[in-house]
Amino acid sequence: MESTEPSPQPRPPLIQVQSVVKKYTRDTQVLTVLDGLSLTVDAGDFVALMGPSGSGKTTLLNLIAGIDRPTSGRVLVGADEVSAMSESALAKWRSRHVGFIFQLYNLVPVLTAYENVELPLLLTPLSRAQRRKQVELALSIVGLSDRMDHTPRQLSGGQEQRVAIARAIGTDPTLLVADEPTGDLDARSGEEILVLLERLNDEFHKTIVMVTHDPKAAAKAHRLVHLDKGVLEEDVRAAGSGG
Amino acid sequence: MIRFLPLVLKNVFRKKTRSVLTIASILLPLFVICILGTLLAALDADPSGGKGMFRLTVRHRISITNFLPEAYLPKIRQLPGVKEVTVMNWFGGKYVDNSAKNFFARFAIDPEPFLRVFDEATVVEGSTAEWMNDRSGLMVGQVLMGKYGWRLGQQITLKGDIFPGIYTFTIRAVFKGADESGVYFDRRVLEEAVPRFKGLVGLFWIKCDSVQTVERLPKEIDAMFENSPYPTKTETEKEFQNSWVSMLGNVRLLITSITTIIVLVILLIAANTMAMSARERVTEIAVLRTLGFQRGTILGLVLGESVLLSLFGGFLGVALFVLSFPGFKQGMLSSPMGGFAAGMRLFPGILALGFGITLLVGLLSGLVPAIRSAQRPIADGLRQVG
Ligand SMILES: Nc1ncnc2c1ncn2[C@@H]1O[C@H](COP(=O)(O)OP(=O)(O)OP(=O)(O)O)[C@@H](O)[C@H]1O
Ligand SMILES: [Mg+2]
Repeated sequence: MESTEPSPQPRPPLIQVQSVVKKYTRDTQVLTVLDGLSLTVDAGDFVALMGPSGSGKTTLLNLIAGIDRPTSGRVLVGADEVSAMSESALAKWRSRHVGFIFQLYNLVPVLTAYENVELPLLLTPLSRAQRRKQVELALSIVGLSDRMDHTPRQLSGGQEQRVAIARAIGTDPTLLVADEPTGDLDARSGEEILVLLERLNDEFHKTIVMVTHDPKAAAKAHRLVHLDKGVLEEDVRAAGSGG
Repeated sequence: MIRFLPLVLKNVFRKKTRSVLTIASILLPLFVICILGTLLAALDADPSGGKGMFRLTVRHRISITNFLPEAYLPKIRQLPGVKEVTVMNWFGGKYVDNSAKNFFARFAIDPEPFLRVFDEATVVEGSTAEWMNDRSGLMVGQVLMGKYGWRLGQQITLKGDIFPGIYTFTIRAVFKGADESGVYFDRRVLEEAVPRFKGLVGLFWIKCDSVQTVERLPKEIDAMFENSPYPTKTETEKEFQNSWVSMLGNVRLLITSITTIIVLVILLIAANTMAMSARERVTEIAVLRTLGFQRGTILGLVLGESVLLSLFGGFLGVALFVLSFPGFKQGMLSSPMGGFAAGMRLFPGILALGFGITLLVGLLSGLVPAIRSAQRPIADGLRQVG
């Protein structure tokens, strides 16, 4: 998580989604959610994924993050072919390479902010002291060093989401995926979260893929991708925002 | 896995009321299981400290209420392997009244041989000499002394029914080691009071020199009196005692069935709790797996939670039993079951059984929710609202 100057030369694509098809079968009905979709995301990019409800945004995000597998096609992240990994290899891969931010924060309610952030670190061989350093660093980045011992119930929505972000960056992953991270927040807290994501992208070079319905949120991204009826409809470089 | 313990512990007490109720519903049945198990074990226990395996009893084949002639005594005594024989006549009768709480064993015996047959009995108050020198001397088990608060030298009046009359005895000796809830006196007292009973014997109690003799003698003795008007039934002390127990109905089967049902009920309760708490946490578990928790880890977390929950209840139940045991035993000793209660102690096997049952309940109740949680696809879990 150390801050270095951005390198001037173009980076190779971090994410390659190649002709991905995703179908769900319910009883006898087959629902094709993604139909031969391809997408590349450069390392260090900040992509906003928009589209109507039910268009397959979450589905696509899950495929990229290795939570789900495509019916056909390939998903590569870095050098890893995510779509071909075994269940347990994927779990290990996710814990190392991906940070997750959800709309409803999804913190563990019985754990304190500190313990929530420590959770993914428990899966690493780090010692207790090393984990403490990582947790404290992550919480200081999101500005919640003074709330370590608070449980989710004692935090506001915006603070909960910041803890969730701290949890996502604690293991220092290359990729952050966020599914409507501001969807449940008021404008002010949402803005804080977006500023934080921008900073993680800028300062810490996290590649971010964010699903959002909010044009204001999308405007913070460097790139906007529109998904409709299972296909990528638009792919526009957002003008005049950071990148 | 140890680093996940705090998480598991916090999950156990996530819903405090529910956890406390579940723990209570394991605790109380487990307490009952410990009591029942201890009773059952006490039936099997050998208060003679192993000496009982050298002893045989001889009674009339028809029933315990039919008498045998005293003439059998020398015949049995001269058999090879027989070390000692005493007559034991069941006095019956009543002390104060016929209520169950005033029931205890009263035997008319031959003092000298009696002490040699039951040589594990040791006199703790008074002396055997004083007892034997006083024809109406009474030897009393320590437990019974305690129950009534009797003193050495105190006079005890028993009213006879099988042997009509009122008999007053003086406590001359207090013993421990054998059946401590009974009283013993010289059978000549009865013969003098009711001459028609002279020469009649309810039971012969034999001490053998070896286990081989114990195996050989019953057939030999029963064959010896086979064709007489008083055929015998010879059995080991254990068999004899157990035949009393089976007279109480099939206690063993009853206790075992009750225990099994209790175990099944707490299993259902615990399983219900675990199923509920796993259902409430579908999203949370999906999030953990998203973060990289393996299926096996999730399985372990849910199972660990159910085992811990169950063990909490089990531990408290066993602890409650251990703490209340002295009082419970005291209460049992003063009841008509006093004879069995004498063999009651904190059997390590029963306490272990208690923990074993708890562990089993924990594992079984958590198994289905744990497998379900671990198997559900992450994407499905994340979609679930709640
Ligand atoms: N496990 C599943 N089984 C069947 N259908 C599914 C499953 N998961 C998703 N779908 C369907 O796939 C389609 C796309 O779902 P997805 O969640 O990706 O949409 P979305 O773009 O994220 O929508 P929203 O903006 O409402 O979150 C929907 O029609 C949904 O009902
Ligand atoms: Mg969605």
